[in-house]
Amino acid sequence: MMPRWMRSARVLAGLGLAALMLVCAMAAPWLAPHDPDEQDLLAMLLPAAWQAGGDETHLLGTDGLGRDVLSRLLYGARVAMTVAVTASFGAALAGAITAYVAGYLGGWMDWLIGRAIDVWMSFPPVILSLILMTGLGTGARNVVLAIVLVDWTRFCRVLRAEVIVVTQRDYVTAARLAGFSHLRTVLKEIVPATMPLLVTLLTLEMGIAVVVEAILSFVGLGVKSDQIAWGQMIADGREAVYQAPWNLLAPVLAIFVAVAGFNLLGDGLRRSLDVRTLEGRE
Amino acid sequence: MILLAALGRRLVTAVPILFVVSMLLFAALRVLPVDPAAMSMPPNATKDEIEAARREMGLDRPLPEQYVLWLGRAARGDFGRSIHHRRDAGKLVAEALPGTIELAMAAMVVASGLGLGGGLLLFMLRGRRMEPVAETATTLMMSVPEFLWALLFIFVFGVALQAMPFTGRLDPGMKLPGITGFLLLDSVLAGRPDILWSAMVHLLLPAVALGLAFAPPIMRVLRASLIDTYHEDYIRQARLRGISEGRILLRHALKNAILPTLTLMGVQFGFLFGGSLLVEVIYSFPGMGNLMVDAVRNADLPIIQVVGLAYCVVVLVINSLVDGLYLVLNPRLRPR
Repeated sequence: MMPRWMRSARVLAGLGLAALMLVCAMAAPWLAPHDPDEQDLLAMLLPAAWQAGGDETHLLGTDGLGRDVLSRLLYGARVAMTVAVTASFGAALAGAITAYVAGYLGGWMDWLIGRAIDVWMSFPPVILSLILMTGLGTGARNVVLAIVLVDWTRFCRVLRAEVIVVTQRDYVTAARLAGFSHLRTVLKEIVPATMPLLVTLLTLEMGIAVVVEAILSFVGLGVKSDQIAWGQMIADGREAVYQAPWNLLAPVLAIFVAVAGFNLLGDGLRRSLDVRTLEGRE
Repeated sequence: MILLAALGRRLVTAVPILFVVSMLLFAALRVLPVDPAAMSMPPNATKDEIEAARREMGLDRPLPEQYVLWLGRAARGDFGRSIHHRRDAGKLVAEALPGTIELAMAAMVVASGLGLGGGLLLFMLRGRRMEPVAETATTLMMSVPEFLWALLFIFVFGVALQAMPFTGRLDPGMKLPGITGFLLLDSVLAGRPDILWSAMVHLLLPAVALGLAFAPPIMRVLRASLIDTYHEDYIRQARLRGISEGRILLRHALKNAILPTLTLMGVQFGFLFGGSLLVEVIYSFPGMGNLMVDAVRNADLPIIQVVGLAYCVVVLVINSLVDGLYLVLNPRLRPR
């Protein structure tokens, strides 16, 4: 018997799209028809192969330096997926630990973490990540760090409420009476109860991380300029939109497909794992 | 009176937050590996001149002392000079803020209209065969962030159809009337329908792009809270009294269901205000977003600091206003 979440069409569609992205990212060197950095100054700004003036060897055309758009798109998936996975796990870890501490222990720790969230929430996330990137400097590791530092609150806010509810259940009291230490109670009783919520949030965060990485690269504050990122491709493609529209459209579509995959997966998981508390929250 | 008291309470909690934010901003921007003194001087300045500038800017003192100095000046409205623009940072922000507020408000109108309309539609589709289709559509809509909408609109309306302008706030050659900085208001005050029209046309694409991105969460919350409200006895009672379904939905259920939606819309407005940054950059819309991105690229610390604070102030003000509105609309929260 398959578990319920395996039978949800959304979950399967989301998993399919996410897997597609991961395969593109991992197999980029084998899938890409060209070296993504190889310039061909005789074939600059070619339109897509099926448009007038297109070249069969460059399926999605070339950019302003004659580099193959499809190959760059595939390599761009590497940065996007690496950042999406590491940043969301990092944010989940940071947010979960603070949520368990605040929700389970309560008292002044809860107060302190609550006030920290107030401060974080008084900033639009985009602005906060830009300021952090100014301080940290460009590079994939700093993008990950900035996303973790901005988005831990997304996890903490929602999880904390759930932890408070679970902490008051009888079986948690029973565990304490049976002589479990605080650490063991949290790890054995509370973490498993909040796991579905955490997994759902984690999936949705991957989509958010893809968008944030694209935004930062678009502004020129993302990964280092020698790395290929979709945001950077969009910024370059904007200039050439009349001659070679796929320079712009291809990375836009790639971001949409990646984010839609994670969102469908997260949505499906939320429904099938029945996480009521998440319903209606951002 | 109650409203004012509640607003006052909110603002009292906002002040310490603002203090902490200003401290964090200050500390975060001082660990940067750039030297604001060297950047403010011409490239041929001598070491001594740069040293003198450092002393004058207070950069040779310990960080807490620098912060207190900065705070003292900020309290008098002096936020330092922009290193890049060589102008007063406070003035630059004051010029940019109205444009961003105008854009954010227009986008919020779009987001509320789409969100409430879409929420009602989603609710009316409940239990029908179309429901999963509509829900998947909102999930897909949520997967298009504001800057992708902005780029797609430029591509479709600006490039392919050439139907809409997509740069700036006005047609080239038109002058800002410059009374309040809010173009829609100024053009009406100045009696210039041509400027009003131009400003509205320029505002349309960015506002719809932003609004579309922030509408889906509103749809979902409204739908969920309508479903909750429909479980209440008074709805059943209204049905038994023979009131039509449409009237029950709009006159009875919506009144209560709108409250959680309103809270979310407040939070959304804060996010939307930040999201306008990318849209502004894409449409070359002169506002806080463009100012911020320029400042970040040029490591223009005084500007980053004020713009960061200004975003924070706007978000805190919005939150307080939403809380106040909530109190007005929900009599149960008022003290008896």
